[in-house]
Amino acid sequence: MLEVRGLDAFYGDAQALHGVDVTVAPGEVVTLVGRNGAGKTTLLRSVMGLHSDVRGTVTLDGEDITGLHPHQRARRGLGWVQDDRGIYASLSVEENLTLPPVTDPGSAWSLSQVYDAFPVLADRRRAPGTTLSGGEQQMLAVARVLRTGARMLLLDEPSEGLAPVIVQRIRDILLEVKARGTTVLLVEQNVKFAATVADRHYVLAEGSVAADLDNAEFTARQSELLEYLGI
Amino acid sequence: MNEILQYTLQGLAAGSFYALAALGLAIIFGVLGVVNFAHGACYMLGAVVAAVLQDLLGLNFWLALLVVPVVMFVFGVVIERLLVSRLIALDPLYNFLLTFGLTLLLVDLVKRQYGVSGLPYTRPDLLTGQITLGALRLPTYQVFVLAFSLLVCAAVWLLMTRTRIGMIVRASTEKSELTRALGVDVNRWVTPVFGFGIALAGLAGVLAAPFRAITADMGSSFIIILFAVVVIGGLGSIVGAVVAGFIVGLVEAFGQAYAPALSQIAIFVLMALVILVRPAGLFGREENA
Amino acid sequence: MSTKRIVATAVVTAGVLALSACGNAGPGGAGSDEFTDGKLVLAVLNDQSGVYKDLSGPNSVKAVEMAVADFQERHGDDAVVEDVEVTFADHQNKPDVANTKAQELYDRESADIILDVPTSSAALAVATQAAEKEKLYFNIGAATTELTNAQCNKYTFHWAYDTYQLANATGTAVTEGGATDWQIIYPDYAFGQDMDKSFTAAIEAAGGTVGDHIATPFPNDNFSTFLTRAASAEPDVIGTMQAGGDLINLVKQYNEGGYVDQGIELAVGLMFITDIHSLGVEAFNGVNFAEAWYWNFDDENRAWADRFMEETGTRPSFAHAANYSAATQYLEAVQAEGTDDADTIVGHLEGKEIDDVFLKNGKIRAEDHRVIHDVYLARVKTADEVTEEWDYEEILATIPAEEAFKPVEDSTCSFG
Repeated sequence: MLEVRGLDAFYGDAQALHGVDVTVAPGEVVTLVGRNGAGKTTLLRSVMGLHSDVRGTVTLDGEDITGLHPHQRARRGLGWVQDDRGIYASLSVEENLTLPPVTDPGSAWSLSQVYDAFPVLADRRRAPGTTLSGGEQQMLAVARVLRTGARMLLLDEPSEGLAPVIVQRIRDILLEVKARGTTVLLVEQNVKFAATVADRHYVLAEGSVAADLDNAEFTARQSELLEYLGI
Repeated sequence: MNEILQYTLQGLAAGSFYALAALGLAIIFGVLGVVNFAHGACYMLGAVVAAVLQDLLGLNFWLALLVVPVVMFVFGVVIERLLVSRLIALDPLYNFLLTFGLTLLLVDLVKRQYGVSGLPYTRPDLLTGQITLGALRLPTYQVFVLAFSLLVCAAVWLLMTRTRIGMIVRASTEKSELTRALGVDVNRWVTPVFGFGIALAGLAGVLAAPFRAITADMGSSFIIILFAVVVIGGLGSIVGAVVAGFIVGLVEAFGQAYAPALSQIAIFVLMALVILVRPAGLFGREENA
Repeated sequence: MSTKRIVATAVVTAGVLALSACGNAGPGGAGSDEFTDGKLVLAVLNDQSGVYKDLSGPNSVKAVEMAVADFQERHGDDAVVEDVEVTFADHQNKPDVANTKAQELYDRESADIILDVPTSSAALAVATQAAEKEKLYFNIGAATTELTNAQCNKYTFHWAYDTYQLANATGTAVTEGGATDWQIIYPDYAFGQDMDKSFTAAIEAAGGTVGDHIATPFPNDNFSTFLTRAASAEPDVIGTMQAGGDLINLVKQYNEGGYVDQGIELAVGLMFITDIHSLGVEAFNGVNFAEAWYWNFDDENRAWADRFMEETGTRPSFAHAANYSAATQYLEAVQAEGTDDADTIVGHLEGKEIDDVFLKNGKIRAEDHRVIHDVYLARVKTADEVTEEWDYEEILATIPAEEAFKPVEDSTCSFG
């Protein structure tokens, strides 16, 4: 589904990614783990086209999307959820949901499906987006891209800063998304959380892929990884 | 008491010009991230175009209210396509300097063509005279200016809150990058939004034509007050621009009435206080780091 | 872009604005001020691009060029000097710029005389330079009486008008006409303050009273509140000392407020025909004002105005005519004395009685260098009285030269 080949990314003179190769198969849930500054978010942003100072190629379903603008990538089925959730204060909850254009009517969730799945969003539909709690905002951010019919979600630390009970809820959502066949690439610091949802894991270190592990290996080496990641 | 009501109306009428123009400034800043220094010059152009069209074609005030904003919209679109868009990827300072240069150019061109002493303008008979309410006499034109600009502000507010275009403008004002990542082609809206902002400045200019001296320099002090208005209201805040526009108009009027020497300083003192207490302005949101 | 950043940028820009005003060096050129070189240089220093551009500006340079051409035609081969140049510079109405430009004109461009210089503060700065360099300076465009009082000097002449004369004409005439209860609105800078004082003195001398003296910011585009405040005292007349664009703003808003219907007249302290032209006669509603010269006053004026029209495409203001007159009288003095020596020319001019297109019953007072001449009380015509373009004024009364200006015995000038 997604193929990243030889990706270098730069911030001015500083190089943040060094020849990164990442592959995500259709329906797969893959996490990027690594310390702060390892390049996880840069990689995700580069896939979305939000970081433009890059070399290498990004291919989506066989199409080279390296030169495309972010909105063009979104329309090809990438669903973006950024680490601060990116909820608009000047838009109501419902406007937050309907802002992104539907890209695949076949797989898009309708507004009523969203409200069935997340009743709290229905209750607060007229309220400004940022009046929701952190967990509710995270649900809104995920629901927003599901409503477009995105085939692949790019999630930046969905569990960050949330209470355990909410994290559980997010995991349930991700599992449901996965069950529907949607592909997911997520950045995650929470190794336990990552292990419960993902099929495969890339460990990033200093801008390079240090390891590519399946979930069994990942779970087996969890304590070692935790130490390595310094978490 | 009568005087206080009159000062209030005068303040609100003066505020109408600020509110309309600041609205355009805020929308442009919101979507493009460009601080349009040429906004005062566009206000001036609106008045000059109205006067010139009246002289050449006999275009009356009512038609000017329709035609001039359209002319200014086209002008804005041309400026955006030809100049602003080329610098948009760079530091915002470049476009600030561009529009500053544009201001000097426009002001001097108008001086060259039409001189400095100003252009005559005939206002419609309907708007001359005063409305008398008991002992209170309110100039008809000021009442009209206030009502008309409130109407325009309300229409813009509806456009912003009730339409998909408005939603996109609000979204890209707040989080431009995210809006792109969510599949909205923000660039498509950049040019019309710039034109729209310029058209609002031009409209304020048309409203000023019967009421103020139409000179090349009429925008020079206007733009300074306008910056104070958007800073007070909160940069990029649409409601803030309008509310602050009227507040500044009132401060100006009551300052002139009770402390003439301080009336202009009062606006900047207010701005300084707002920055101290709420750096993002009355209606601005604190920035994300 | 952060709020702080925007504010910082605005401050930087204000700086850039201030700096950009300093460029624009005048035309350079070396020369000799030796009259034996057969060269005479007349320099016009005025506002070439700002608010006073239309009422004087480039067309005053044209008027001076006309004077030179006429001089050469009159004297032909008998002219004592063949090579007469006209140069000009833009002082942007700023005293510091005027000061620098005056030095440049006198020193580098060998100017024998500087003409015009509107804006009182700039005019006084140039007077200081004239005294220092001992070169001639005929002021036309500025209104301050200081030029012929405390800050007078041997080389400075004040040719056309001043605040005393304006107040004396309008303030006295309007008060004597029955409008005795005044409110004065004036711009809060040297000219406005001076006008306020002069008008108050003239009004009180004529038996009137002035209620409030309302100072306004300058420039300013919103006078509604000031007018309401002035009108709330229910005066007979509001006197405005605003000029240029500010005057137009005020007049438009005066009409808006319907004060005429309340029986509150408007008296304008200083107005040029260019102001009437830009706003249209309707707006002025028959207002009275002091005029130093009017192009359509008599055949002599009109004939000159026709020539001016051919040169410039517009009718002359009194400032244009006065520049022509000043240049002409200077050239004639040079012709009579056969030298450009400033002291000789001053000696020639002092006490001289002159009649020309601008100066009617004119006389150059030796004591203070005030050039006195007949001035007028004018009324703006109504729209149906106007018979041709620029036909805007009716001359109501002529104020004889001896009565129009501050009496010489009241002058504090001393050339010591």
